[in-house]
Amino acid sequence: MAVCIAVIGKENSPKYVACLHSENELQFHYKVHTALDVVEEKLSLAGKSNCDVRELYLGLLHSTEEHKIFGYVTNTKIKFIVIVEAANTTLRDNEVRTMFRRLHAAYTDVVCNPFYIPGDHIVSKKFENVVKSIMSGNS
Amino acid sequence: MADEALYEFLHSELVGYVTEKSAKENKKDDLSALEYMGFSSGYRIIERLTKERPRFNDELDTVKFICTDLWSTIYKKQIDNLRTNHQGVYVLHDCAFRFLSKLSSGRQYLESAPKYVAFTCGLIRGALANLGIKCLVTAEVQNMPGCKFHIQVQRS
Amino acid sequence: MRSSVSYILSSPAPDTRMSHPDYDQIAQDHASILILVHHQEGLLKPKSFTKVWDKIRRVNHTKVTDSAGVTRQVYIRYVKDYPVESNDWGEFQTHRRLLGLISVGQYESQTDLNEICRFHESLKVRYTTTLYDSRCILFGKENEELQTPSNFKSLPLWYSDVESCSDLESQVSELLNSLFWVLESKRQLFSGVSPLFSRMHRSHSQERSREKLDRVPLLLAPFERKDIVGLDLESRTNKKKCMGRMIKHLGDLSLQAGVPHEALQHYISALDTLRSVNDWLWLGGAAEGLCSASVIVLYPGRWRTFPIQRNASLPPSPGKRRPGLIGPSSLPLGSLTPVPIVEDAPKALSPEGILRRYQEAIQNYAKYQSAGMIETEACFKAAQIAIQQGCPLQAASFLKNVVLINLTLTEQEKIQRFLSLSELYTQMGFHRKASLCRRLAATRHVSDQNRQPDWTQCYNLMLQALDGHRLSLDPTERATGGIAEGWPALQIHLLQQLVVAARRMGHSALATRHMTFLLQTMWHHLNPKEQRELTKQLQKLASECEGAPVPLVLDSRAVIPPANLTNIPLAKNFRLQDLPLHLRPQKIQKLKEDMGPFLYTPISFGSLDRKSTKSLSRMDYVWVEGDMCEVLLDLYNPLPFELKVSNMRLLASEVVFESIPSSIVLPPDSGPNTVVLAGVPKEVGELEIQGYSTHTLGVKSNCQLRHMRHMPQPSFTVEVVPALPHMEMSTNDQKNNNLQLPPVDASVSITTISKSLYAGESTECQVTILNSGSQPIELLEISAQCVLDPSQLKQVLQWSADNIQAQLPLHPGASASFTLYLHGHAEYIAPPRSDVNDGGSQPSSLLSGPSSLPSRLSSLASTPQPSRHAHHNELSSGSFRSQISSRSGSSIGSSRLNPKIYDPSAPKVIDCQLKLRYSGGPGLEAGYCRVKSISLSLEILPSILITSWDVLPAETSSQFYLVLDVTNKTLGELELFYADGKVMLLEGNEECRIAVPVERCPLSKLSKLYQNIELTDVEKAELDSVCSDHVASLVDLKWVLPVSNRSGKASLRGLPLTSDMLDIVRMSPLQWEVLLNKEIAKPLSELTCVAGQCLQLGVTVQNYLDWPLHNVALSLKFFQEYQSGIRNYRLDSQLAVAGAPNVLITQLDDQSSVYHECNVVFFMPGLYKIDIQCSSVGNCSGAHPPGDATESTPAHTWKLIPPIELTVTDP
Repeated sequence: MAVCIAVIGKENSPKYVACLHSENELQFHYKVHTALDVVEEKLSLAGKSNCDVRELYLGLLHSTEEHKIFGYVTNTKIKFIVIVEAANTTLRDNEVRTMFRRLHAAYTDVVCNPFYIPGDHIVSKKFENVVKSIMSGNS
Repeated sequence: MADEALYEFLHSELVGYVTEKSAKENKKDDLSALEYMGFSSGYRIIERLTKERPRFNDELDTVKFICTDLWSTIYKKQIDNLRTNHQGVYVLHDCAFRFLSKLSSGRQYLESAPKYVAFTCGLIRGALANLGIKCLVTAEVQNMPGCKFHIQVQRS
Repeated sequence: MRSSVSYILSSPAPDTRMSHPDYDQIAQDHASILILVHHQEGLLKPKSFTKVWDKIRRVNHTKVTDSAGVTRQVYIRYVKDYPVESNDWGEFQTHRRLLGLISVGQYESQTDLNEICRFHESLKVRYTTTLYDSRCILFGKENEELQTPSNFKSLPLWYSDVESCSDLESQVSELLNSLFWVLESKRQLFSGVSPLFSRMHRSHSQERSREKLDRVPLLLAPFERKDIVGLDLESRTNKKKCMGRMIKHLGDLSLQAGVPHEALQHYISALDTLRSVNDWLWLGGAAEGLCSASVIVLYPGRWRTFPIQRNASLPPSPGKRRPGLIGPSSLPLGSLTPVPIVEDAPKALSPEGILRRYQEAIQNYAKYQSAGMIETEACFKAAQIAIQQGCPLQAASFLKNVVLINLTLTEQEKIQRFLSLSELYTQMGFHRKASLCRRLAATRHVSDQNRQPDWTQCYNLMLQALDGHRLSLDPTERATGGIAEGWPALQIHLLQQLVVAARRMGHSALATRHMTFLLQTMWHHLNPKEQRELTKQLQKLASECEGAPVPLVLDSRAVIPPANLTNIPLAKNFRLQDLPLHLRPQKIQKLKEDMGPFLYTPISFGSLDRKSTKSLSRMDYVWVEGDMCEVLLDLYNPLPFELKVSNMRLLASEVVFESIPSSIVLPPDSGPNTVVLAGVPKEVGELEIQGYSTHTLGVKSNCQLRHMRHMPQPSFTVEVVPALPHMEMSTNDQKNNNLQLPPVDASVSITTISKSLYAGESTECQVTILNSGSQPIELLEISAQCVLDPSQLKQVLQWSADNIQAQLPLHPGASASFTLYLHGHAEYIAPPRSDVNDGGSQPSSLLSGPSSLPSRLSSLASTPQPSRHAHHNELSSGSFRSQISSRSGSSIGSSRLNPKIYDPSAPKVIDCQLKLRYSGGPGLEAGYCRVKSISLSLEILPSILITSWDVLPAETSSQFYLVLDVTNKTLGELELFYADGKVMLLEGNEECRIAVPVERCPLSKLSKLYQNIELTDVEKAELDSVCSDHVASLVDLKWVLPVSNRSGKASLRGLPLTSDMLDIVRMSPLQWEVLLNKEIAKPLSELTCVAGQCLQLGVTVQNYLDWPLHNVALSLKFFQEYQSGIRNYRLDSQLAVAGAPNVLITQLDDQSSVYHECNVVFFMPGLYKIDIQCSSVGNCSGAHPPGDATESTPAHTWKLIPPIELTVTDP
């Protein structure tokens, strides 16, 4: 049950942003934008210290009273950001990981499309469907 | 096992097509189209291959991944020898490169060997590019069917 | 994590006069003594005060030796103002207490002095609860009379002026010393409380701590005071509380007194004590204190540095900071590397431990609604420590919830909070978050709660926030892709807010500038609806203030670079145009330079290199100074409404260029509209066209090609050559309507002359040249180009070059003219008709010639009457004509006609181009000229045509008749004048025969003829042509068209003549004299004789040549001529000749004569004629028998003309 999902490219420009309700879209843009700072910080940390956490899932980046922001960075430096409502306490960590896994799979499919030039905005219907289903909470 | 043969046939047809096309336009030995195809393929396939894998530690780790996982996925074997000077130059030595192994192992086809490794050079370059490493990949064939790929990382 | 469930131990109504958080505090401040330096307004200028302030602040620590001999470092913190309420928290954290006071003032009179002192005293009163000591610094002249008022109890320091207070620092140090000792004594006082301390230091401070405190007072935070009533102080928990709090207090004092290690111990023990009684607030305080102490121990030397003035002279750090940044400037900068832990401080926390403790402290503070200020400050301090340790994530977690702390802040304080947050985030490297905070601060400036909205500040802050969004205001940077792309949606939002702020600020130029920038750079990211709306907004903004492409400099010294609208309208296909054809300069051909023996070198060295570097941006052609030059541009209008683009000019450099503005209105959503940009170069040199400027939607933009991505070339270079004159031409050719078109808008100007002439007619045409430029025309050359070869062209067209040269130099505005003489040159001689049989020459027809003479003569005699049907002459029958025509057909001269087979009976059109090359002024010096051309079209209609010709001997031997068949090829009447006074009138297409008497060609012209030498073909042809020229020069055929009164002359040049004809043309070299019966017979006289009588006929032949003739055969023939013109030579039965009628004269010497005689008897009466002729049988020697035709030299025949007529009568 996500409220906003964003895919950000290698050079930190948005490739795909989708919100459940489109009225606060700009606000979500800002939230994701600021979350990127944290993502970058975590990435650089991972480089410096050989910490045990080498997985792609970054965990909770930021939380406010209304929203929680989770991040995930692939090996190819594509970042996925998922914003969920803070009131949603039933959301378990595993569920979030599943969301990201599905996102990653969908993204990989998009990249393997020879007509998609990496670096462009994603305009794939299939991808949109996956995102919609993630946002609405279907498994 | 049929998919192995498919890939080889497709690749040799690809090489033939590109060679013929460049001959028609009188461009001598223009392998850049072939290399770009390899680049594009490598870029995309690495996304799929690294999906489940944890993050790389450093550059060497990444190149090792190329040598082991990527090679075994595509060429059904691993790179036999990896050497590096730890300053951005890596040499991947494959003693029995799959595309060259079907040609005779003497010196007969040595001049046309570059055509068959251009695609793979692009593949490596594309894979590394998507992983954030800009590099230049060249190949050297001295004894058929072995092949050495030189990767030079470009740090700007 | 802030829990929302914890407002325990607090009353719902917080204190009303809550002080604001001090964002400048750092952890080390816990160990500093607080001193207020008060600036007494009045005479003391701020600048002087600043100097004093700096001087005072230099004393930021002092070393004191305490009673035990240990050197202690005591640190001081100076503030310029301090809210009293903060003092209230002094019990909770002692460093908040104001311990010292320094007033600084300047005086000139007693009243000033009194004022200063009074204020000082009032301050003392205000802070009296905590103040230990104070000083008053007075600047003024030494004056014995001025004294401090009597109630002034502080220590005054007198100085004459700001410069000369050298011992100020020592005085301050002294103050500090005194403060320290007070503090130390207090510490000693309380140190007895702590059992730990007393255990440790009993030996040292026994005597001091003798004042044992039986009852430990309960220290309170300000808001706790209310709750104190009714609290039982004796209960164990409360006692413990008191103890714990006191120990914590002691720790604070120890820190301030310069013994951090003791402080550590105190804090630790306080923590234990307070934890057991759940005294959250003080627990937090103790934890915070512990952190501060650890920081001081772990990172020694990180104190407030002497602040670096942020001058404009300091180079700003690249990229990130902008001038005018607000931020605490005295914080220790740089990161903390965790110093290796000093061994003798085992109780200090580890670096991670510090952060953990801070976390704990903040969590404890969070439970209290009224402790917001403390909590905020603690968050900031913790964040700073974390940043300095290099753990930005931790710092971020500290700062995360600062905004949510429940503090009543004024708007200004909120802004300050945001700014401090943004500063910290920037230090962390969280630029996006920092710019978000700045943006929020900016909005706070103008929010609804703000009673004094400050749009300027809002704007400034927004401007600073741009950087974090990767937005640079220089559109060229974006175009070249220098900075990585940010988030378009956010950037658009930010820019829109910037526009609003600028507008409300009152700086409408800025608003326009930003809007322009938004439209320019974000165009592709906007959807059409947004594009439309924003464009309309821009128009509205620009109506207040027009946008101009100049950098705007703000008060804060930020420079906003110009933003040019290159997307509206979108321009493509910028192409330079060559000058129109008639204005293009060409290089004047250089005179043949002496370049040595090599005339032509196909290889030019280095040409290969030149070819490869030839760039597309350099034009092949040249432009002329002073002439209008054009550039074409395609414009696209992407907006759905009409767009008016005005004042479009070219941007040029290197050479002075005057551009001429043009405007265009583009229809909505329209494709390529071509617009012409024109300009006049005013100088010679290399002109560089760099772009164009537009004025649209109220914004002026300079669109440079090098900043536009889709333009192939960054600039175009054209060479400009010096000025050349302008010339206009006109002719007086009325028939032709295509006169010179107005030169302004004619890309092609054609001057044509077309005339229609009859063959032989001449006319002239006047061409007027007007110098319409500003340069004099100094060179004017005319040359003609035609398919005809030059000699023929000269016949048709002529002009006087000298006449033209005489009229130069032609000054501006003057005009000159010259005449073109046109002549309808044509051939009048018809080519052989196709039905002619190629027989050989028929000399026998010659015989028929003279027989027709009489009739011809008779017809000639009647010529004064215009004979309408002259061609129906009974003698000139068709057969005769055909003979002539056959003869003419066989004439060798046909080869002499124009080798092209053409039909002179068809109208001929001659097209010719007259090229006028003109130049003058500086262009001439540079070697350029212009070319104008006149195209001449001459139609030559045939007038008369000579279809056949013949030569007949005339009555006298000095003339002959040239008989011509003349056809009138025109459609109307034609009058032909062919000899003196002789006229023939012909209808259209009518033919007539005329006989023109011509003088025979004198022998003097034929010097080579009849010689006894071989003549080459060339010489023969030359001789023939001499005769033919002679004929042509003597025959004047003039025709007149009576209807249109046109006339012309026909010439017989090139009339081919056979050798027989030539014999007649040429003057005969032989003269005869005939003697009949010894009487000279005159040619036309009546001669009679009687039949049967013997007639003696004597002929004298005289050779008038200068050389002898050989083998001349003289023959006498008798014949009779009938009316029908037939000659009968067979007169055997009618006469008999005695003697030889034919004689061969072997040699007839020059100028000598030969006499021959014979007798003749006529038997029958009648009219007889005698034909006397001489013929030379070739120039061979007489050895050849006559009749041998091996020699192919032509035989010449000379006749006596007219033949002698003899009438024989009956006896």
